[in-house]
Amino acid sequence: MTDLTYAQIDETVLNTLERPRPRYWVFVALMLCGVLLGAGAWAYQIFVGIGVGGQDIPVAWGTYLINFVFWVGIAHSGTLISAILHLFRAGWRNPIARAAETMTVFAVCCAGLFPFIHLGRAWQVYFMLPLPNQRLLWPNFLSPLMFDVVAISTYLTVSSLFWYTGLVPDLAVVRDRSTGLRHKIFRVLSLGWSGAHHQWLNYSRGYLFFAALATPLVISVHSVVSWDFALGVVPGWHTTIFAPYFVAGAIHSGLAMVLTLMIPLRRIFRYEAIITLNVLENVAKTMILTGLIVGLAYGTEYFIAWYSHNAVEWESFRWRAMGEYAYGLYFMILCNVLIPSLFLLKAVRRSVPWLFAISLAVNFGMWWERFVIIVGGVAHDFAPHAWGLYAPSLVEYCIMVGSFSLFFFLFLLFCKHMPSVSMTEMKETAHHAG
Amino acid sequence: MNTTMPPVQPGRNAAPQRSLFTLGAVLAAAGLAAFLAGLLGPHPQRAWQAFLINFLLWSAMAQGAVLFSAVTHTVKARWTGPLSGLAGAFAGFFPVSLACFLILLIGKNHLFPWLHEDLHGKEIWLNIPFLFTRDGIGFLILYGTGWAYLSQDLKLKFGTSAAGGGLRRMLAGRIPQSDTDIQRVQRRKNLWGGLYCFAFALVLSLIGFDLVMSMDPHWVSTLFGAYHFVKAFYVGLGALIILAAIVHLRRGRSAGIAAAHFHDVGKLFFAFCLLWADFFYVQLTVIWYGNIPEETSYVILRTVTPPWDALAWVVFIVCFIIPFVVLINRRIKTMPGAMIALCSIVILGIWLEHLLLLGPALNHAAAELPLGVTDGLVFVGFLGLMVLALAYTLKTFPEFLPPGGEAPR
Amino acid sequence: MPAETCIMGLFKDDGKAAKVILDLPAAGFSFRRAHSPIPSHRILEALKLRKGRVGWFTLTGGIIGFFAGFALAIFTSVQWNLIVSGKPIVSLIPFFIVGFEFTILFSVFGNVIGLLVCSRLPDYGGLASYDPRCSGEHFGVLAACEAGREGELMDFFQKKGGEVKVFA
Repeated sequence: MTDLTYAQIDETVLNTLERPRPRYWVFVALMLCGVLLGAGAWAYQIFVGIGVGGQDIPVAWGTYLINFVFWVGIAHSGTLISAILHLFRAGWRNPIARAAETMTVFAVCCAGLFPFIHLGRAWQVYFMLPLPNQRLLWPNFLSPLMFDVVAISTYLTVSSLFWYTGLVPDLAVVRDRSTGLRHKIFRVLSLGWSGAHHQWLNYSRGYLFFAALATPLVISVHSVVSWDFALGVVPGWHTTIFAPYFVAGAIHSGLAMVLTLMIPLRRIFRYEAIITLNVLENVAKTMILTGLIVGLAYGTEYFIAWYSHNAVEWESFRWRAMGEYAYGLYFMILCNVLIPSLFLLKAVRRSVPWLFAISLAVNFGMWWERFVIIVGGVAHDFAPHAWGLYAPSLVEYCIMVGSFSLFFFLFLLFCKHMPSVSMTEMKETAHHAG
Repeated sequence: MNTTMPPVQPGRNAAPQRSLFTLGAVLAAAGLAAFLAGLLGPHPQRAWQAFLINFLLWSAMAQGAVLFSAVTHTVKARWTGPLSGLAGAFAGFFPVSLACFLILLIGKNHLFPWLHEDLHGKEIWLNIPFLFTRDGIGFLILYGTGWAYLSQDLKLKFGTSAAGGGLRRMLAGRIPQSDTDIQRVQRRKNLWGGLYCFAFALVLSLIGFDLVMSMDPHWVSTLFGAYHFVKAFYVGLGALIILAAIVHLRRGRSAGIAAAHFHDVGKLFFAFCLLWADFFYVQLTVIWYGNIPEETSYVILRTVTPPWDALAWVVFIVCFIIPFVVLINRRIKTMPGAMIALCSIVILGIWLEHLLLLGPALNHAAAELPLGVTDGLVFVGFLGLMVLALAYTLKTFPEFLPPGGEAPR
Repeated sequence: MPAETCIMGLFKDDGKAAKVILDLPAAGFSFRRAHSPIPSHRILEALKLRKGRVGWFTLTGGIIGFFAGFALAIFTSVQWNLIVSGKPIVSLIPFFIVGFEFTILFSVFGNVIGLLVCSRLPDYGGLASYDPRCSGEHFGVLAACEAGREGELMDFFQKKGGEVKVFA
């Protein structure tokens, strides 16, 4: 990484923007099919009603909420890598910062769809906006769902602006190396950036402020999402640990998704000299930490459930381990805590197949963690006669496939049309090393 | 990896002078006198309360400061410079902390409200033998891993001047001789450093639950343990900044602690101020919003009921508002004198926060704050103990001090 | 005939570019702009620039956002003042969340506006005297000289190890 010249960096990254092979378009088409499937299912739901989903009494929140939390979680580690690690001056983040920020923006987009989907009558979102109207109706900002509206919109706006700001110098590079239509488009997009001294002076400070503002935002947004659950009184939901627990879990799942995306990306785009094994290893090491935090949280919840001697709380946790959805808990512990602890072994951390496999396991496990928390909480709360079960319906599965497809669709489009590694930051790394 | 490590030469006039030992001894004696006077007076429970509060606070400072060294080593941070070494010196307080913990046994009847309550089944967890055994083992593990980590660190820093008193000779006997030896010591240092971080989270959570939360045996907050260890790192950083600033002011530029170091550790202190406040707010919001009486009684008593409500506001302002507003300014972080003042205020604030958490549980239906001269003197006494511990550690192991004239990175 | 001509010297090393900037006034030429593919401390130091003013925009935005967030939450609550779940009409503990998010949002808006204003972006006109090599691996120093002295300026740059580009 340190002996790359500026020209080599430019060339490696700009080569990825060359005309894609037909195989690329096949994947894009496949993802588009998934998106259309999801969109179709959603349209069907809007026409027929929210009842086509599997949620009912008592489990009123199902995969729409699980996926919402899942995608917001994925988004968080993108901001961790691009913003928080920038504040800590951790240079190993530079090769993956751009792709991580992009992952954030697209993941928030996917996440933001789910509250709409879950409304059923999607147009009712109008009442959540504080617009003056003749009925003098206003949203109730005491509600955690309104906190969500504010937090997620803020996160989407800030992430997009942060992402775009980071892109501007790179867009100028593409502008300067391209001709024809691409040159015209990137000329407009790069805002006339010329790398002038007064531009860099303000840019560096502005970027630092962005990073400093995005950091508390990351913590607050997932805390707000966790409060959708914790501010109620449902056993298993109403616990003070949720905010930091969700933030740590979000970073854990997001780092796994970073590995899932980066490993094929570096192979296909021949980025091995830029996204080196050291970078992947550092992601794995960070996952050791987040995995341990998540494990500590699981253990603490169980301990406090016992210590509180609250019969309802204890029954909720007993059922979690021994009831109808117990397999979810075991997936959760196995995939989120035990399997990532394999990263303590250097050989595992530096083996690309292992990194990829473990990242998939963590993604799987973190999805199940949200299932266990969300469905497990309401399925088995206070009154035994009200206990029930839940299974997603076909419409929900299609929408879930649609959301994953949308994410990969957007990411695939991005990779081939925009620089997926920040040439500017890589040059800065080379400059400091030289 | 740097396999040949030149021995670290302690700077000239590096060792703490006798006057520091005298100061420490005087303060400690004052504290001891006040404590004993309190014990023999009409309210021994107040004396034990002061003892517990200060034991928790000063142990947290030492534990948090050593964590700084262990964490920055584990993540291979390169900005810390001489700060990591100074942070290690706080381990000198570990034996004091352990001794104070055992002394708590003597005051058990005055300290643990649940001894006199019907715990409806919680007795298997909240009973003196089990509590002291598990917490004692916890402290031993924590301090053991901390000391193991630091001893490997010292081995790498020892030069030819490794002769000396008993403790030094014990460590010096196994100075690494060859490169493979050095590598082995470094591997052990990595291992113990990581284990200390792990033990810190677990043991301090346990202490938070056992010695603070359980004073109100029927109240729970799942985040309380984590809140305790975040608080410990917060005050640990504050203590480290104070020590670094004092060393810098006494030795000037030869101390090798540059403005950049103060700026960076000041930023970390600011970050943990925010994190501490965040962990406090997170608990408050969930409890306030759920409005479940068995949870809210604890918070209502401490935040809106006199005499504790005024204390709550003071804690909030001193531990959050003041550091937040002051530390936004970049330059203040690089002014050692200002940072000593700010960190001292924060430490006092966290001392009051311990009182806020423990006081209502130990003083049912208090009409006024149980805060008086005795409490202040016991605080001063523990300050004296910390000064003595640091002075002794830095004298015995001047390798913890920044080497004279080393250029900061 | 234009009174002065702008010529850019392109260097592969920012140290050389910084030195050139320092030597320009002595040689009787005036400095216009420096371009670089990355922010260069050496060039910024040579120019003795003060810190950017973006921070003030950010701070202003943050302050506006803080009060706007609380104001929105308090106003909407007071307009529809029914007691819900036993919580007070104006409850600062949950409203703090709205205030906090708005603080961040408006700080970021301030940051972006500040960035655009202080960097004078978008600036498509500035590309007229810009060489695309400056976004690759070259550090460009744009200087102006009076008509007739172009040869001198070109020599000056070439002696310092740079390539030259002339703008009309």
